[in-house]
Formats: sequence, C-alpha cells, structure tokens
Amino acid sequence: MIPTHWFLILSAVLFAIGVCGVLTRKNGITIFMSIELMVNAVNLTFLAYARQFHQLHGLIFVFFVMAIAAAEAAVGLAIFISLFHHRETIDVDEANLMHW
Amino acid sequence: MFEFAIFFFFAAVAVIFALVVVLHHNPVVGALALVASFFALAVMYVLLEAPFLAALQVIVYAGAIMVLFLFVIMLLNLQHRREEPTRPVQQFLGYTGSAAFLITLVYYLVKYAAFQALPAGTFNSDVRLIGTELFQAYIFPFEMVSILLLAAIVGALLLSGRSVRASAQ
Amino acid sequence: MPFDPTDIALSILKIVIVLGALLNVTPIMVWVERRGSALIQDRPGPNRVGPFGLFQSFADALKFILKEDIIPEQAHKWLYTLAPMFGLLPALTTIAVIPWGLPFRLPAKRIFGRMFFEGDRIFEPIVADVNIGILLIFALASLGVYGIVTAGWASSNKYSLFGAIRASAQMISYELALTLAAVSTLLAAGSVKLTDIVWQQTHYFYIFNVIKIPAWNVFSPAMWLSFIIFVVAAFAETNRLPFDFAEAEAELVAGYHTEYSSMKFALFFMAEYMAMAAMSALVATLYLGGWDIPWWDEPQVWWASLLTMLFFTAKVVALLLVFVWVRWTIPRLKYDILMRLGWKVFLPLAFVNILIVAFFVAKHWI
Repeated sequence: MIPTHWFLILSAVLFAIGVCGVLTRKNGITIFMSIELMVNAVNLTFLAYARQFHQLHGLIFVFFVMAIAAAEAAVGLAIFISLFHHRETIDVDEANLMHW
Repeated sequence: MFEFAIFFFFAAVAVIFALVVVLHHNPVVGALALVASFFALAVMYVLLEAPFLAALQVIVYAGAIMVLFLFVIMLLNLQHRREEPTRPVQQFLGYTGSAAFLITLVYYLVKYAAFQALPAGTFNSDVRLIGTELFQAYIFPFEMVSILLLAAIVGALLLSGRSVRASAQ
Repeated sequence: MPFDPTDIALSILKIVIVLGALLNVTPIMVWVERRGSALIQDRPGPNRVGPFGLFQSFADALKFILKEDIIPEQAHKWLYTLAPMFGLLPALTTIAVIPWGLPFRLPAKRIFGRMFFEGDRIFEPIVADVNIGILLIFALASLGVYGIVTAGWASSNKYSLFGAIRASAQMISYELALTLAAVSTLLAAGSVKLTDIVWQQTHYFYIFNVIKIPAWNVFSPAMWLSFIIFVVAAFAETNRLPFDFAEAEAELVAGYHTEYSSMKFALFFMAEYMAMAAMSALVATLYLGGWDIPWWDEPQVWWASLLTMLFFTAKVVALLLVFVWVRWTIPRLKYDILMRLGWKVFLPLAFVNILIVAFFVAKHWI
C-alpha cells in the first residue's frame, strides 16, 4: 500500500507547477490549461483522503468537480474565442481595457 | 513492490508532462502533454482504488475537455503566433514565488502529515455504490449540476456566436 | 503481491491469442474488402496474386515496407511520427476487456511428473476482467480522436487540418449517442461488467410460455432502438461509410492522412480495421449475446468453451461483413447532414431510449 502523504506531495507538486504556469505565461490558453492542472491536483488530494478514511464522499465530490470543470472549460474557451474575435490576440496582457 | 514502481513511474510522467505544458511555447504540444499528464493521473486514481473515477477522468478530461482545447487552438490558428516572452521581472517573481510555495507545502506535508494505518478491508468504491450515493444523499447537487451544465452550454453558444450579435446591431 | 507463475503464464497466453487475432484482422479484411467490393460492383477484384488473390495483402504489405517514407519539411516531426501510434491505441486496448469465450474449469493435471493447475482454477477468456468493464472501452475509444487531430495538425497542411477537425468533431458527436445507447444494455444487466452483460444474455425469453428464444439484447423489443443507434454510431466512430466524409476527402481533395506515406499510412490503415474489429466485438458482446450459443446451456468445460469462442468469432466476422457491405452500398452523407443527424436525431433518440428501457426494467419486463 502506498502511503497517503506521497499522493499529497504529488498533488502539491502538480499544484505548484500549475501556479507557476498561471503566473509566468502570457498565452491565455496555456494559463487555462495550468488552471485545469491545478484542479486535477485538488482532485488527487480528495481521492487520497477518501481512500485514507474509506469515505465515498471524496469520490462524489471529485465527480462533481469534473462536471463543473467541464462546464468551466466550455464557457472559458467561448470567452477566449470572443476575445480573439475582437482583439485578434490571445495574449492576456493585451486584454487591458474594460470596454472597447 | 509492484505498486511502488507503478506509482513512481506514472508520478514522474505526470510531473514531467505538466512541466512541458507550463514551459513549452507551442500550445498544441502543451495540450497533448496535458492529455498525457491526465492519463498518468488516471492511473494514480486506479492506485487509490477509485477505478470508476479513473475511467471518468479519461472520458471527461482527456477525452472531451482537452479535445475542446485542441479544437479552439487549431481553429484560432494560434500556433503560428509566437508568444512574446514575459517580462523578466514577472518571470523571476513567478518562478521564485511558485518554488517557494512548493517548498513550503512539501515541508509542512512531510512534517505534519502523519496518518494512521489504512482501515482494514478493501475500499468498496464500485459503480453501484457511487450511483446509490448520488441518487440518495447527493440528489440535489446532481440536479443542480445538470442545470449548471445547461447554463454553460447556452452561455458558450451565446459568447461565441459572433454572427448573432453582428446582425442584431 | 504474490506472483503466481501459472496466472502470469495464462495471462500471457490470453494476450498472445487476442493480439494475434487482432493483428491478423487487417490483412484478412483488406482481402475481404477488395473481393467483397468487387462482388458488389460486379467486377473480378484482385485475382492475380495467388489463388483468388489471397496473397494480395502480402503484396500490399511489401509495397508499404519498401516505399519511401517522406516527412514534409514544414511538419512537426515528433507529432507527425507519433500520430499513427495514437490511432492504434484505442483499437489495441479496448479488446482487452471483451469476453470472448465461456469460462471453464481447468482440472489439475499431472504433466511430466509435476502438478499443474492445482486447486480448481477457472480460466476466464478475457484479458482483463475489470470492475468498470464498459467504461474502460468508452474511455479508451474517446482517445481515438487524438490520432486524427494530431495527424491533421502535424501535417502542416490546410486541407489535412480541416479534414482532421471535421473527422474529430464527427467522432465526438457520435460518441455521445454510442455511450447513451449502450447504457440501455447496462440497465438490463444491472452491472457495468461485460461478463455480467453476457451472462445475463445466456438466459431465455419465454413467449406465451411455449416459445423459448435466447435472451440476447437484440431480441428484446426495448433494445431495438438502442441497437440501431449503437450500430449507426459505431459506423460513425470508425469513420466508415456512410460517415467517412472526412476520409473521403482523400479521394476528392485531401484528408487527415494525406501527407502520410508507406509505413505510417499503413499504421492508419491498420488502426481503422482494428477499430472496426473492436467495435464489432463490442456490438456482438452487448447485443448479440457475446459468446453465447443459442438454445444450449453450455457446461463449463474446455470443449464447450472452444465452441463458444468459435461462435463469438463467427458473430464478429458477420458484423465485419456487414461493415463491408454497407460501405459499398450506401452513399456518403454530406457533412452538415451528418452532424445534424448526430446531434438532433440520434442524441435525443438515445435519451428517449434510456427512458423506455428504464421503464421496462422498472416493470420487470426485461
């Protein structure tokens, strides 16, 4: 059996890599992918705890997180498409006006 | 013994491909690397005795969400635009900030995360039990998530439907 | 984890059998397709290379190996080379969870003075009997999109990209109808495991308490709609006519594998036929009773198991012949009609079908 804190450390590493991606990249799609990476790291934490205490609630929560992440991805990418149609760029530094 | 080998191999795969996502300049390569990382995470979920969620991870994340990402990247033809490099100040602060965050997290995890032994017996997490839980204790969030997905579909259609707004003006 | 050498040896034997059968599907199907299409189109077909043109596949394989392997200059080399391998992934892995024979008891035997199979071992002819069964097939089949998308993008060719995006949009649209249509078989069997679905189909329906028909899902009226939806979606998933608009562009303008030559193109070719075989095996398992021999209660012995394996192969072969037959009979659907069918016709029908089957199961009519 693999100790639970190893999964938590892996989750922390993936989360930190996601944070690094969000902070250092300018491409909007890459930032979005780093956010998905962070969400997956959190999913892993939930499942590690679910197995540790033999509770099904962790699994159900991960189920809902996946559904919501799917909805978020759809809407977020629609926003990016809309941004691209207006400004011809996906660079988030260029999206700096409140209304144009 | 075999489990440890599988854990280390797929953990390394997940971390390496996550680094490729964050560091590579081409978003298509990043998206495919993220698919590989999600697949490695699905193997982790199987090691955590949740095979149903592992299958869901591949179906939903690797099989649907990342395909959506790839479609958007390819339709917007983004790979030909070279992303401007971030300012050195932002890069330095970003890397050191996330490194500090990681080191702090791992330090506190190693120091304080001491769990008791796992409860005896197998973790009964098959599809039937999850389905029963979903339809009994969690029925309200289940229905709410379906309405949320409907809102997401309508929102996505509205936001990306350029011709509708242009003709309305 | 105790390593039991007999278990490992039996698993390796199962993998060898399944992989051997699957890898041999392509050359046989190439010959069947070409002779079958010739029969339907009233022409001889390949008849020069060997009797009845049987060695045509060898000639094709030789041609593929000896052809020059061209990589276009603008192509992304890594992804261009990896794309055909992504295409092979779903075809090779989904066959692992499909049961292809009756489980039978291996009696303890004394060979060369050593006891083998002691302790009443049951040999299950399925490579991996996982608890999530059919979900694994859906998970791995949804990864098939990546082969096409990567191939189209890495070719760095506008027409390849458009063909790839169309093909993958079609595949993910029909995946929904496929999954929802298969849910009705899960409802009837009460379990996600494919072995349970097949065992449930070994029982019998009694009409008027006199006529006994095998309880295959295709014979049950609640499942007829889901059978039709599943078979049509299987055609769309494997990019076969009448849904191969994205591929037929190769005949008209270009397609996602237009820049591929020799062995890489052969890999795409193989991936398509193996996916067809895997889908046929899945249809046979879910709707045609899998390895069940109709009207016979098979005893769990080795010779009955061999007969069930033969029957399973016969069902898969029959479905593959249907694939070939439909390809050369029905014309290709236009792309927008294809997408409209997938979203506006088959998806609502699949939902309605789940309601119907749930009603039948609740009333214990299934």
